[in-house]
Parts: sequence; C-alpha cells; structure tokens
Amino acid sequence: MTPDAINRLVAQLAKLPGIGEKSAQRLAFHVLRSPPEYARALAAALIEVVDRVKLCSRCFSLHDGPEGTFCGFCNDPRRDERLVCVVEGIADEMAIERTREFKGRYHVLHGVLSPLEGVGPEQLRIKELILRMQDTPIEEVIVATNPDVEGEATALYLTRLLKPIGVKVSRLAQGIPMGGDLEYADQATLARALAARRDL
Amino acid sequence: MKLLSLSYERFRNLEPVSFEPSPHATIAVGENGQGKTNLLEGLYLLATLKPLRANRLSELIRFGSPSAKVTGRFLINGAEREISVEIIPGGRTAFVDGKRAGSLDAYFGGVSVVAFTPDDLSVVKGGPDGRRAFLDRSVFNVQPAYLDESREYARALKNRNKLLKDHAPMSHLQAWDATLAKLGAKLWVRRRALMTALVERARASFQRIGRSPLEAQWHYEPAHLGEGIDFSAASEAELTERMLERLDARLTRDVERGFTSVGPHADDVEITLGDKPARAFASQGQCRALVLAWKVAEIENLQQANGFLPLLLLDDVSSELDPERNAFLMGYLADSGAQTLLTTTDAALVQRAAGADTKWFRVRAGTLTEEFRSASSTG
Repeated sequence: MTPDAINRLVAQLAKLPGIGEKSAQRLAFHVLRSPPEYARALAAALIEVVDRVKLCSRCFSLHDGPEGTFCGFCNDPRRDERLVCVVEGIADEMAIERTREFKGRYHVLHGVLSPLEGVGPEQLRIKELILRMQDTPIEEVIVATNPDVEGEATALYLTRLLKPIGVKVSRLAQGIPMGGDLEYADQATLARALAARRDL
Repeated sequence: MKLLSLSYERFRNLEPVSFEPSPHATIAVGENGQGKTNLLEGLYLLATLKPLRANRLSELIRFGSPSAKVTGRFLINGAEREISVEIIPGGRTAFVDGKRAGSLDAYFGGVSVVAFTPDDLSVVKGGPDGRRAFLDRSVFNVQPAYLDESREYARALKNRNKLLKDHAPMSHLQAWDATLAKLGAKLWVRRRALMTALVERARASFQRIGRSPLEAQWHYEPAHLGEGIDFSAASEAELTERMLERLDARLTRDVERGFTSVGPHADDVEITLGDKPARAFASQGQCRALVLAWKVAEIENLQQANGFLPLLLLDDVSSELDPERNAFLMGYLADSGAQTLLTTTDAALVQRAAGADTKWFRVRAGTLTEEFRSASSTG
C-alpha cells in the first residue's frame, strides 16, 4: 500500500495543467528522493506565491509589494504615464514587455467580453480603467486585445467608452509577421494586410 | 485534378476497401442500405472536411471502432498527392502526404467537389435555412476562407443573441453590433460575388434542361436592408454601416424576441419561375430542374475559377428525376468529361453517363466488387 501522504501529493500534482497521473507520481517520488530542504523550499515558494503576489491596485498586473502600493510598472518613473496599453491577461503583458519597445504603462483586463461565457464589462477591470483616466493624465490608450471575435468586440466597447472622454484610442495593427515569408502567411492574415496596406 | 485511388478503413458499414476509379464515370450499383452513399460520403469528407449527408462526423466511424480513415491519391497540378482524413469521436485530423496538415489553407489547395444528393432536390420548396446552406456551400467551394468567416459570424451572432435575451445594457450590446456588422458585411459581399458569377450560367442551363418555356431567376438580397442603398453596388464599408443602422433600428423588436432579425443568417435566396415564386408555384419536376441548373452552373463556375473540372458526386439522383431531365443530366456528365462518382439502385438509369472507360461496382452489405460489363450487355 502506498502511504496516504504520497497519494495526497500525487493527487494534488495531477491537478496541474499538462500533468497526468503518471507524471504526478514521478514528480512525487522525485520530491521524496531529494534532500528534505528541497521539499521545504518548494512548499515555501508555493505558499509565498499565493500569500504575497497580488494584483496591482492601479493596473492589475502582478505585484508582490506591500499592501496599498503599486506594481513595478506603475512605480517606474521612466515609464510614460500618458500612454496605456490595455491587454487581456498577464501573458499578453509579458509578450509586449519582451519587445522592450513599449515604455508606457499597462492595464490588464483579466479577460474579454464573452456573453456566451457570462463575461460582461462588470467581470473585467474596465470600470477601473475609466477611473484611472480621471486621476492620471492619460493621452493615448492602445487596445491590444486579440484579433478574434471577442477581442474585437472588447476593443470596440472600450473605444466607445474612451473616445467621449477625449482620449486617443488606437488598436494594434494586423498583418504579415516580421521576418516572415509571404508564402507562409495564412489567407486571413494576408487579406487583412492587403486591406490595411499603407503608402510609401 | 484527377482522383487516382480511394481507400476506406472502418468507415461506416464499408468493409476495408481500396479501388481505382475511372478517369470519367465510376458507378456504384446496389440496393438501399448497402453502403453506396458511404463511398461518396468519404470522398466528400476528403474534399471539404465536412460530412455530406450525415449529421455529425462521429457518425462516420464504424460502429464499435475507435476511429475511421479515408485516403485518396490525387493528381493535383501535375503532382501526385495523398490526402487522408482520420476521424475520432470529437475530432478529425487531415494529412497531406502523411504529414498532418498544419492549416486548412494548406489543405484546401487543389481538390474541389460538387455533390448532388436527393436532399438538394427539396431546396426550392424547403425552408430558407436549406437555401442558405445550399448557397453557402457554393461559396465555400470557390472561397475556402468563407468557412472561417461564417464561423466567426455565427459566434458573434450567438453572443449578441445571448445579450438580447439577458437584456444587457445598450453600451455592451453596441460593441457586439459593430463586430457583427463587420463580419456580416463580409459574408454579404462573398455571397453577392457568387450570385453574380452563377446566376447567368444557371439561367442558361435551365433553358438547356428544357421542358419549360418559363424563365428562371435566382435573386439574393439581404432582408430588411432598407431604402436608399443598392446592394449590387454597395461597398463592404457601406454594407457594414447599413447593417449597423439596421441592427439599431430593429433593436426594440430584437430585444422583444430575443434574437437578431437582420444579417446574412436571416436572408433567403429568392427563386422565381416566370415571375412567380418557385417555392409556391413550381412543379416537383421544375424544382428539380432548378436545382440541377444551379449545380451545372456551379460546376462551370468552378471550372473557370480553378482551371479544371471539379469532381462530381451524385447520390442516387436519377431515381428522383423524370426521364427527360435525367437524360439531360447523364448526357451532360458524359459530355463534360468530368470525373464522376455515381450511385444508383438501377444501373439502367445512369447508363447514358457511362462510356467505354466506366468502372462498375456492385455494393452489397458494405462490400465492393468490381463488375465487368461491356457497353452492350447493360442498359
């Protein structure tokens, strides 16, 4: 009989995405064979992440500072506070950050409008974005939601809210990927790139 | 494009089979329920990744088997390609030369089919949804990207209808209106282009099918489009704008009923015969001639767009047509030179489509056996 403690660990690990029952078992035995310090460090890291990492109360990015303070993006004085990039989730924020091109601030919606899944404006951090407009001198909002049906609807929704406030609203362009070959581009992307061609 | 060989594994009631069709007519003869239609079902799946007559893909898997597979070898633009589709419950995977097809664009390169089934014959008299599906299938045949576009539209529509039912605030609804209008206008433009390409051909072939002195006409125009806009000439941007206006104008009514009443999903193809709606006035025989004329137009249009004839699939259509119209169809098939797969319960009905190189198969209880017959011994 496997000790219950191991069964419990395997059951917890198997809940992780991409981890099946067998992988969970292998991970559990790995932890068991490793020096006890490893398990203690892992447990501490897990607990720390849930105890300390919160959402920034201004832009809703991840943040591990003391309660009531803002995240690194919001606190960084070198970042242009007049420019805000609105993204669906943390992963999108990280993707834009990797470009090292964007020196403005972020706003994370934590989802997109999707009536079929019961997601309306109240489920997203939209009200908070509007409130933000009132106490920071924001001049341009870049809407960087995905170019799918839900992402487009969300972008349009934000545009209708933001334009009347007198702020510039822009949307990420769509087209051919850099370094990409035209011949590899899919039809939809190519068609959009053609439609959105620009003068030289 | 030529189909060189076909093979089926665990596909419905068909015993595993592999055969080489004729470059022209291949005819499968058998009683009902023996598996004739399944042969066409498999080939249609290869060409479109969609079922022909089955309601769901998973119905195509042999009862009790984990998966089904159809493979075809084609000669496309001078190169031999092997295309196969595997179906498992809940999904399908397409392969080109043994490699998983990464994108559907890559897949929908060279094979095109036009299918003709007894279900098509009810299109004229049936409901508008049948005519929309019929039209959409024709658009998809020339524009594979239409499949994704219409799926996106359907998704936006479902979302908007959900908001209508939930009595969502105006601000939220408007965001979806704009999304829906953009996608809807795109579908309108695609359908319009197809109608432009097809209607004249269909009218001409209706005349050729004959037996009716009346003029046939097909007309597609969005419902509730309103005054002051010429659908035949409006740009996509103008149509987007107009659809948005109409969504707005019909909002109270839409909220009351809980669904969207304007857009490509609410349109119909109006078919008239001598200025009277065919739906109400055409005889059974005329209805079939109208469908036949449309299919012939579609074949000609595809030939012009692709530079080669599509594969033609005819599922027991002859028994549904009167002798003269059947004779026209069989004569057309023989003269067109198209590669054709026909099924029939009665070999005599399709005899006129047969030539010296026709291959005959007998289908019995899911088993396919080639029959050799000389042109004189049948008919």
